[in-house]
Order: sequence, then C-alpha cells, then structure tokens
Amino acid sequence: MKHFAKYWSIFQITLLNSLAYPGEMVGRSLMIIPFMWIFYQLWKVTFSTAGADVISGLTLRDTLWYLMLAETIELSRPPLARTMSENVKDGSIAYILNKPYDFMLYQFSAAMGETIFRALVNAIFGGLTVWWLVGAPNHPEGFIIALPAIFGAWFLQFCLNAMIGLSAFVVEDVSAFTWIYQKLAFIFGGMLIPLNFYPQWLQTFAKMLPFSSAMYGPVYLSVAPSRELFISVMTLQLAWITALTILLIIIYRRGLTQLTVNGG
Amino acid sequence: MKEFKFLIAIWKTNLQSAMEYRGAFLTQTIGMMVNNFIYFAIWIIFFDRFKDVRGWGINDMYVTFGILASSFGLVSLLFGNAFMLSDIIAKGRLDYYLSLPRPVLLHTVASRTIASGMGDFTYGLISYVASGYFTWDGLARYILAMLLAATVFVSFLIFTQSLAFWLGMMSNFSNLVLNAMLTFGIYPITLFDGYAKLILFTIIPAALMGAIPAEFIRAFTWETLAQLLLGAIGFLALAIITFNIGLRRYESGSAIQTEV
Repeated sequence: MKHFAKYWSIFQITLLNSLAYPGEMVGRSLMIIPFMWIFYQLWKVTFSTAGADVISGLTLRDTLWYLMLAETIELSRPPLARTMSENVKDGSIAYILNKPYDFMLYQFSAAMGETIFRALVNAIFGGLTVWWLVGAPNHPEGFIIALPAIFGAWFLQFCLNAMIGLSAFVVEDVSAFTWIYQKLAFIFGGMLIPLNFYPQWLQTFAKMLPFSSAMYGPVYLSVAPSRELFISVMTLQLAWITALTILLIIIYRRGLTQLTVNGG
Repeated sequence: MKEFKFLIAIWKTNLQSAMEYRGAFLTQTIGMMVNNFIYFAIWIIFFDRFKDVRGWGINDMYVTFGILASSFGLVSLLFGNAFMLSDIIAKGRLDYYLSLPRPVLLHTVASRTIASGMGDFTYGLISYVASGYFTWDGLARYILAMLLAATVFVSFLIFTQSLAFWLGMMSNFSNLVLNAMLTFGIYPITLFDGYAKLILFTIIPAALMGAIPAEFIRAFTWETLAQLLLGAIGFLALAIITFNIGLRRYESGSAIQTEV
C-alpha cells in the first residue's frame, strides 16, 4: 500500500496543478459548446430529413447526450504521447527515468490527475449546452452506471497513447502516429457518429477493436443502461485492459533498451 | 516587389531546412494525408447512411474538405508561425524580428514551415479531383479560391493571435478559435441559417474557408467571387491593423536569440 502512496501523491499534485489555473481550464473547456451546437444542427436536420424519431435505437436526445459524453472523454484526455515525445526530444526523460518510481505508473498517475478536473468542467459545459438544446437525458442514471466503464476507457486510452509515446524512444517524433490514432479512435470508437448508425459489417468490425471499448461501449451504456449491456461492456473492456497492459509492459521494457537521450 | 523577393528567400530557406530532415518531412506529409483520409471516411459513412443534408451530398463534402485542407496546408507551409504568433508575442520572442530591417509581421509569420502542411495541401487537391466536380476551369477556380481562403485563414489567425498584445498568454483561446474555424468550415453550410450563417461569415469566418470557396469552385458566380475577395481584403486589413496597433504595446522579452 505504501508503495502506491507516491503515485497517489503524483495524482494529487497534478490534480492540484490543474486546479491552480481555473481560467485556463475553463477556457479550454469552452470548446465543447460550439461542438455540441454544431452536432445539434447536424443531427436535428438528419433526424428531420429521415422523418423518424428513433434511428437505430437512438433518439435525437440520446444522440446528443451520447456525443456530449464522447466529447467529454476525448477532450479531457491529456496529450500523453506528445508529452512523452517532448521528454525524449529535450532530454528531460533522463530525469524522469532515474527517479525512484515506475515510469509508466508515474505517467498514469499524472495523466489521471490532469484528466479528472478537465472532464468535470467539460461535462458541466457540455451537459448544460445539451440540456438547453434537447432537454434532460432520457436515462440520467446511465451516467452513474457508466462511470466504471468511463474510467476503464481512460485506462485503455492511456495504454494506447503510452504505446505511441513509447515509440518516441525509437523514432523521436510521434505526431503522425498520434494524428492517425486519433482519427482511428474517431471512426472505430464512434466518437462523431454513434456506431449504431454504421453499416452492420462495419459495426461488427469496429466492436472487435479496442477503440470501441475505449469510447463507444461506455458512452452507449450511459444512454441505454441495462444490466446485460453493463456486463458485456465491462467484460470486453477488462479483456482489452489486460491484453493492452501486458503489451504496454513488453513494449516499455524493449523501448528502454533502444532509448538514446539527447542531452538534458 | 522587394518584400516578395524577401518572402521567396525565406520560403526557400524554410524548404531547405525542412529537407534537412527528409524522413520526418515525408512521415509528416504521408501521415497527414492518411489522417485526413481516415477523418473523411467518417463523412463517407455518414452520407452512405443518410444520403444528403438539405441538398448537400458527399461530392460537395469532397470539394469543401479539399479546399479547406489545401488552404490550411498552404498557410502551414508558407506562414507556419501564424499558428503560434500569440506565443511569440507573449514570450517576448518578437525581439529578434524587431531587430532586423524587414517588415516585422511578414518576417515573423513566414519564418516557419510546418511540414505536415504538405500532406494537407496535397490531400486537398486529391479530394477535389475525386469529387466528381473536376474540370480544368474548375481547377483554375480551385487555385484562386485556395489563395483567397488561405488569405482569410492566415489573416484570421494573425488577428486573433495578435490579441496576445493585450491579453498575454492565450494559447487556449487561440486553439479554441482555430478548432472552431476548422470544425465549422467542414460542416455543410446548409445546416445553418439566420444568425448562425452571419457568424460564419464574420466572427468565425469558416464559411469563407470552406463552403463559399467550394461553391465558387463548383460554378463561377460574381457573387461568390466578390464574397471571397471582400472577405480576404477585409480580414487581411483587420489583421495588419490589429497587429500594428498591438505592436506599440509590445514589451521586450530581452530575448534576442537565434530563431530556428
């Protein structure tokens, strides 16, 4: 337990750091407002053109609350891969690696510390905007039920981003990988369009990938909560978390042997 | 003419500098093209399912995405520092440009090339060719529209980022307006009406970077050309005036150093 106390402290310090600049945090979170407004315009017209109140099991209200949570998860995620890449490029990685803590656990604690407050502010702004546009969610309890899956989503996103960040040990600049990862997460995670609206073959394919466990699963659970869905989302997510954690540890150990530090 | 020669010299130097790291340049160019393609695939999925949005179909999206990507890419390649002007101002890094006998604004924004811009620029052209609207006179309009849209975009960046002379560090605000510009630029203009449309022509001139140039490329009208020209001249004037007024308030960061 004592072993984990230092990571809890790292988490707390990063969280307090983010609280130290509330203006900046609020400014950054304002972005969710135009996003939700434009999504509302798009889906209002789409539902109206389709002449249907429900499309693939989702109403306009469900769709907007779905997109709000998806945006909240995405916009709250710190740019971990870029930070790790910067650490390698400017040599500061040397100072992080020789400290008496595990590098990956340090990164995870710091990333979560950055995420929590940011997510809260995004959810408040996004939630208020969507509430004003389409009204209260049909299943408000869904957001509580989905909480464990949302944390699981952040953990999965951490694993995937850390792998990209670790590639900086070999290639230094990881921006191209982060762009592509982000867009794959958009498309296969159902971030801009719920996977329900995809053709069946693409839905099946997307649901087999970790991106859907890191986005679609938890978000869909929040708008259509049920015991069966909860069990199915959590089971798949845990399987991905186990697989990706193991893979991350292997990549990290291999990466360490290839790292070249440029000064620092 | 003298300034134009100066610009050419800077761009040449930037290009040589980017070519020093050919691997990184290529990775970023190809990476950005793949990135754009995957992003666009979302629209393909959307229009495959819902066919059109108030008369706006996938082919219109190809053109809009194309012109937006090309003009964004052009600005990244030629005026890369426009994206980080607020940082340069707030951190006192204008000292370097002020100490040289060249136009400060032009020198500052043109002193950086963002390699991934080549990927955006190229992808934009490919997207237009694939749109089904391609004609040779359309290509000429594409080039003109791209130049005007890029002028609006770079001017908008300079204008918003010059507010750093008054507000200090404002990278969040800069990111906010940049994201808003790109997000609104790519969505079908037919979604918006009334005040929303007015905002997209003025406060966040995304329509002048996406929908209006796209309309001009599809079919020539004097009206769209006038809108683009007026937008480009108006925003350029606004950007230059704001920067110059702000420059009077600039406080040195005592940071005369080599800018690479």
